Amino acid sequence: MIDGIGETGTTLLHRLPAGGKLAGLAIVATLLFFVSNPALLAAALPFGAAAMLATGRPPAVLLHQIAVPAITIALVGLADLLLVDAETALVVVLRLAALLAFAVAVTLTTTSAELADTFERALAPFDRAGLVDAPRAALTLTLAIRFVPLVGQEIAAIREAQAVRGLAANPVALAVPLIVRILVRAERVAEAIDARGFPPPRPDRSRSPTSPMGGAPSPSQMPGDLHDHP
Amino acid sequence: MERGCLTLVRPLPKQSPPLLTRGRREVEMSPSEPPDDRRATNDRPMVAQTIVFSEVDVVREGRSALEAVSLTLAEHRIGIVGLNGSGKSTLLKAIVGLVRPTGGRITVDGRDAIAEARAVRATTGFLFQDPDNQIVFPIVAEDLAFGLKNHGFDRRETAARVAAALDRLGIGGFAKRRIHELSGGEKQLVALAGVLALGPKTVLFDEPTSQLDLRNRNRLEDVLRVMPEQAIVVAHDLELLADFDRVIVMEAGRVVADDRPARALAVYRERAA
Ligand SMILES: Nc1ncnc2c1ncn2[C@@H]1O[C@H](COP(=O)(O)OP(=O)(O)O)[C@@H](O)[C@H]1O
Ligand SMILES: [Mg+2]
Repeated sequence: MIDGIGETGTTLLHRLPAGGKLAGLAIVATLLFFVSNPALLAAALPFGAAAMLATGRPPAVLLHQIAVPAITIALVGLADLLLVDAETALVVVLRLAALLAFAVAVTLTTTSAELADTFERALAPFDRAGLVDAPRAALTLTLAIRFVPLVGQEIAAIREAQAVRGLAANPVALAVPLIVRILVRAERVAEAIDARGFPPPRPDRSRSPTSPMGGAPSPSQMPGDLHDHP
Repeated sequence: MERGCLTLVRPLPKQSPPLLTRGRREVEMSPSEPPDDRRATNDRPMVAQTIVFSEVDVVREGRSALEAVSLTLAEHRIGIVGLNGSGKSTLLKAIVGLVRPTGGRITVDGRDAIAEARAVRATTGFLFQDPDNQIVFPIVAEDLAFGLKNHGFDRRETAARVAAALDRLGIGGFAKRRIHELSGGEKQLVALAGVLALGPKTVLFDEPTSQLDLRNRNRLEDVLRVMPEQAIVVAHDLELLADFDRVIVMEAGRVVADDRPARALAVYRERAA
């Protein structure tokens, strides 16, 4: 699903504000959690399917998006069937399937920038209270979306290099170089993010003038927050 | 070698806008014009900052990465060469405060590289060797907007600057493309557009062609040839630096030659042999 984030488009769902869509998704999720009547949950499915189709994506793309989570849901259902009973399994599967459909509809029509923005705004009150750093939290979310697919590429590259040297597939032989590569990349990414001027100036916390080019920095916006100086 | 004449600029494949358009006006030069005058090819004024290294030392993990480096960099095109580990990247990073000198001081147009790093970074862009480490957002236009937001530009100004920066590199059609679907050369151009969108006076390039194929390398050379911003370029690709104003040769953290390209590169070739 991660890969589905980030499409721009012109459908009604695309044009709805990201905050509204996420709030709607939260409400739907809460409702689904409290409903345990299988007939009612089954009635939510056509709405979920309609929401997915409203993204304007071809059904093949939609199926691709839900394939992996659907397998997970099936496994959860199977576990419930074996460990609890058939009705519980049915309720859980229907609930998760409906939730998945709505979640896919939202993620397919919300770009990662909108998601990060919404996230940042939702965290703003906590930021002002000094509890979280909202821009940093939003950046973390963005970086996860951007770099998770890259981990797959790193794994493939390591496997290839090892296969060439005649090494059999082995989780430890994979994990060590993978962790090293990820740490090296993290260091370089942090450096590049610093160079690109992150974090943005905070007009509310700093007393320095906020000219478009940043003006003189106040000590609180000193660089190097992300990157350790040697 | 073919030099300067913009009719030689190689068009991007499958890309309608020509490489390097300046706003509405396309950069054109009739073949009769002098081929080697970059200044004639720009309707933007050439800009440069004065970057001063005063007795700069950098010790990294107990070893000296820069040793007593004193330089005044004010030319438009400055190349830096040297063997691996000679301190080239350290030198570039120190200009924007990514590496802290253990001795001495660096200023950029009078601003301290450490104490005023934010202001220095607003006028001094950095193009890293691997664009994958520099691009933060999964979609091209979003990534360019990230840098602008960091420097306090509002939404409208951001949209205009994103479009202008992409157009300028002939990749206006890329705005909505996904980063992971782009080739290495295309990513490098996107990273550069992200730097140029901020309107820097100087761009620092760390081995910008080392991961590019010949076509993309030539494309980058064309960009370098006409960009009005000051460029400081670390490269192993010596041909790229041949028409620069000045080339600095580093060895074990020290400047061992600092001259016109032909002479500096001769020193480097001799010492590397
Ligand atoms: N992140 C780092 N931490 C510690 N030492 C480093 C780091 N990066 C580079 N160095 C050391 O600093 C010296 C100069 O490196 P660098 O500036 O990267 O050289 P170049 O770019 O010319 O290859 C080398 O001895 C290298 O090992
Ligand atoms: Mg280097």
